[in-house]
Amino acid sequence: MSAVAASISLPTWAAELKNPPAYKSKQAGIPDPPGYPSTQATSNSKKKDAKDTKAVQRKAPTPDEMDTLKLKKAWEVALAPIKSLPMTGIMMYMSGNSLQIFSIMMVFMAFKNPIMGIIGTNQAFERFETETNRTKILQVKLTYVVMQLLALALGIWKVNGMGLLPTTRSDWLAWEAQREAVEHAVPAL
Amino acid sequence: MHRLLLPAAALLTALLSRPAHAVFRDEVGHVDYHHALLGLPQRETTFFHRPRRDDRASLLYTLSDVGIVGAVNPGSGEVVWRQDLVGGDSRNRSSREEGFMRAGEGEWWVVSAYGSAVHAWDAVSGRNKFWVGVGGGNGGGVVRDLEVMEMTESGPGRKDVLVLVEYQAHGETLLKRLSAEDGDTVWEFREVTRDVPLQVSTNVEKVFVVSLKGSQGAYNLKVSVLDTLTGKKVDELVIGAKADVHGKEGVMFVGANSAAPVVAWTDDARKTLWVNLLGTKTRQEFPLPPDTVEVEIHAPHLVQSHPHFLVHSKTTTGHRGEVFHVDLKTNTISKAYTLALLPGPGSFSTSSNGANVYFTRITEDEIILFSSQSHGVLGRWPLKMGNSSATALHGVSEVIKKPGSEESYAVRAAAVTDLDDWVLIRNGDAAWTRPEGMTGGVAATFAEIPESEDLARSLEAEAHSNPLEAYIHRVKRHISDLRYLPAWIDSIPPRVMSSVLGKDVASTSGKLSRDSFGFHKLVVLATKRGMMYGLDIANNGRIVWSKRAFNLPKGAEWDVKGIQVQDSTGQVTILGANNDFVVLKGDTGEIIEAKGPSSEATTQATALVDTHSGQRLIRIGRDGKIGEVPAYQAPKQTMVTRGEDGGLKGVVFVPEGTTSHESVSWTFSPPQGQRIVNIASRPAHDTVASIGRVLGDRTVKYKYLNPNTIVLAAVNDETRTLTVYLLDTVSGQILSSSKHQGIDLTKPIECAMAENWFVCTYFGQYRLRDNTAQSIKGYQVVVTDLYESDEANDRGPLGDAASFSSLDPVDVPTGDVIRPAVVSQSYVLSTPLSALQVTQTRQGITSRQLLAYLPEARGIVGIPRAVLEPRRPVGREPTPAEAEEGLIKYHPAIELDPKSVITHERDVLGIDRIITAPAIVESTSLVFAYGVDVFGTRVAPSYLFDILGKGFNKVSLVGTVLALFVGVVMLAPVVRRKQINMRWRASM
Repeated sequence: MSAVAASISLPTWAAELKNPPAYKSKQAGIPDPPGYPSTQATSNSKKKDAKDTKAVQRKAPTPDEMDTLKLKKAWEVALAPIKSLPMTGIMMYMSGNSLQIFSIMMVFMAFKNPIMGIIGTNQAFERFETETNRTKILQVKLTYVVMQLLALALGIWKVNGMGLLPTTRSDWLAWEAQREAVEHAVPAL
Repeated sequence: MHRLLLPAAALLTALLSRPAHAVFRDEVGHVDYHHALLGLPQRETTFFHRPRRDDRASLLYTLSDVGIVGAVNPGSGEVVWRQDLVGGDSRNRSSREEGFMRAGEGEWWVVSAYGSAVHAWDAVSGRNKFWVGVGGGNGGGVVRDLEVMEMTESGPGRKDVLVLVEYQAHGETLLKRLSAEDGDTVWEFREVTRDVPLQVSTNVEKVFVVSLKGSQGAYNLKVSVLDTLTGKKVDELVIGAKADVHGKEGVMFVGANSAAPVVAWTDDARKTLWVNLLGTKTRQEFPLPPDTVEVEIHAPHLVQSHPHFLVHSKTTTGHRGEVFHVDLKTNTISKAYTLALLPGPGSFSTSSNGANVYFTRITEDEIILFSSQSHGVLGRWPLKMGNSSATALHGVSEVIKKPGSEESYAVRAAAVTDLDDWVLIRNGDAAWTRPEGMTGGVAATFAEIPESEDLARSLEAEAHSNPLEAYIHRVKRHISDLRYLPAWIDSIPPRVMSSVLGKDVASTSGKLSRDSFGFHKLVVLATKRGMMYGLDIANNGRIVWSKRAFNLPKGAEWDVKGIQVQDSTGQVTILGANNDFVVLKGDTGEIIEAKGPSSEATTQATALVDTHSGQRLIRIGRDGKIGEVPAYQAPKQTMVTRGEDGGLKGVVFVPEGTTSHESVSWTFSPPQGQRIVNIASRPAHDTVASIGRVLGDRTVKYKYLNPNTIVLAAVNDETRTLTVYLLDTVSGQILSSSKHQGIDLTKPIECAMAENWFVCTYFGQYRLRDNTAQSIKGYQVVVTDLYESDEANDRGPLGDAASFSSLDPVDVPTGDVIRPAVVSQSYVLSTPLSALQVTQTRQGITSRQLLAYLPEARGIVGIPRAVLEPRRPVGREPTPAEAEEGLIKYHPAIELDPKSVITHERDVLGIDRIITAPAIVESTSLVFAYGVDVFGTRVAPSYLFDILGKGFNKVSLVGTVLALFVGVVMLAPVVRRKQINMRWRASM
């Protein structure tokens, strides 16, 4: 109610803010600046409005084609982790093996990203999954997991390089017991 | 997890390899304490002397029974200067050499003689003026007396020194006159007579050498009269009838340098006193008071003084004095007056002021001043010796006649008391007390401050009752503890203030209580004179109590063989060699039980052993014999003792019915020609934090941690070699041995052992094996590490076995014994080390330091273990892995960093032993050193990583927190208002 009253008393600019005026068709001969959304809008509207014109040039993809496309997209997603690996590897190599905030954060990210990725595998491929390409997507998923594991391996390599993995004898030294003597002697000199 | 620590640990060790600051400036006097002592002043070698002729201020000089010569400010009791006449080798200190010390009136130097050396010292600064050795080429010369010649031919300004030397080996007597300027010999007087030279004395014209002529037990006094200018013998007088002097001890006194020097002696029964005026043939006889047991004679030392002397005769219950005058014209001695017999011990001392001679008598409760002229009392003061009930044994005094008022005197006397203190009594009041008895420490131990007895008792009661009763008891106890709450609350503000301002917490009225860091402990020190001291090491080494254990006969020393503290009861047990023992309370010094020493030394050593009835401190008799003991008291361990042939033996106890008898399980005899000079074993508290050493490549070298090992240093006198043996004390097997050549056997050889390593130090000179053109000479320290195997990650032949037995060896290719892998390295030092000790911490995590006394630098050094590392790479730079481990390149010489000297600027003399104990905080080890001086400190070899240092600025920390708090309080309303405003604006 109050909105109605307000709309009555609203100034024009305010009313236009809520209900923008109709799009004025541009005058012929004046091209839009590049990137101006009107072209997009027109093409979109054309796609929607004048489907027939488009249909002449490109047919709507068949479900098979859709599957292939989606599969292709899914492969891209699956292989994405490995593409960043060289970069990460170089950065890790460069950051050295000392314990600094930078290398600690990097190690943390190197572990967090693959693990989160593996946990979120299904979500990552949800949009590419259809009834028909399920088996193929499964392969992709497996590849994705392997790639994430590769990234994880890089992280482990880094942690190992930093000496944080208990792989050597010295890491278990604290749990080794001192050999007890059976007999005892006391110096009385 | 552990891995994560590793780089940090490596970093830490790398840090530690740098020389650590031993002491920070603000810790001086806070963590450390030092009693700069002289030793017990002797009657004949202590005097007041004016070091500057025209300055009336005098210093108190003494040469003590432990061979320290020094000057003390009589006003404050502080040491002005000290010199050690014994030198670095403390083994000589126990041999009780006779010392002499004299000063010429009005001269700026003092002269002392000890052993076979005569030293002249600058009286003000203590610098050495000259030094003359009279030992002769082959030694054997011993100084028997020392005098300053008052008048010489070259005018009154110069005084010379007379030294009487005896060469006992060829019966020669030598009197030397030394120029006081530079110690040059002016003349010598030699005599080969097999007489026993006693003393030298001089009056204005003649020099008298008094000696004993005759055979053992029946001597005559012989006086050789010499010319002062040439030293030629003028006359020789034999005094008295045959054989009236029985020995050196019978001659009481030879008057020195007075106008009429006398010689006085008594018979064995102390019934008669004979006096002879030197230079005459007659002797005069005076009867001594009945029941006299000891006689002393006091006379002035100045030529211009009246020739009067005082005979001080002691009976078992009292003492008296008789004053004699010498008539110079008729050469007769007459008794002037008698000072009445007073009960109790007392002492007399002489002081002369120009011609006047004063005698000061210190009795149990008074100090009385007499003139030598008449028996009139010039001054009398009641004696206030503080709270101690000590009585003066002997002393020196200085009498000043107050100007202005007639017959008014001031007297100050420095007296040695029967509690081995040196007290200065100024007009009857004790001005200062120096605990000189703490010199000559023979045993010391750290003792926990006992918990209050009530608490201990109620805790015990709670432990033995049923849980419910115990709980009720406990609640009741806590409720009753509430009455201490107000006092505790009261104590909070000063505690907080002192903590914030970094000041010391004032000790609560002398009450001893433990602290949470474990720094507050007691040290119980026993000395060779039979005194015991309790020191509070947290309060600057304050003496909490001092007690005499026994009255030892003259010349006897308390030979303490074992000292043990029972921390549960707070009792300290001290076992001596002569079957004597003392059990006392550590916190009060109250003697619970004691038994005096017998005449025969029966105990060779003691050991703390485990028996079926708990731990016991047992005695080991001569030649390592223990004898039969009841089965329940038989030690469960093998005992390692010295055998009769100088070797070692292991003794086990074999039960036989209700008794156990000893049985030798092994013997170790050093090879022909070798004798054992030093034995070191691992300390009783030797916790090992890690059983291996992590190398740079993360592999582990396992330490050889056998608790049953000792290190033996044996020398061969003919070949001058030192052999260091590592012995298994259960089986007696030699685990390792090493031989060092070119050893100087007169220099001390010492070893110390801890964890899996040991060090030995000696003086050596030898050619290098691989380069014979090069030779090494100097004080060396050899450090040896023991590992289970040469290889890393290898636990040796025993593998992962959880236990091992030295008697039941496994099959190993090397033989029947499992020998450790040995890594050894030697270093050269610029100075000798003695009294080696290793720091101890609670869990052994902190790296170790080797503590040692530097006799030549008069300090205690803490050498970090990382410097003394046998694995330091030789001839090359360390690899990165080695650098990570903290290894630095080997360099043969260890430069002792002055910063690692834990005594810093203090002049610590004559340390014989250093003991260490862990504190509750891991970083810190408590150190206590004794011998002549007493020094104690705390060391943190890996820095204070678990407590805040004094440098931590608590004021700025608290200030920052407060400022932040104020800022938050002030900004809070502003922020709240802003947030509310934002809410209201947000509806747009």
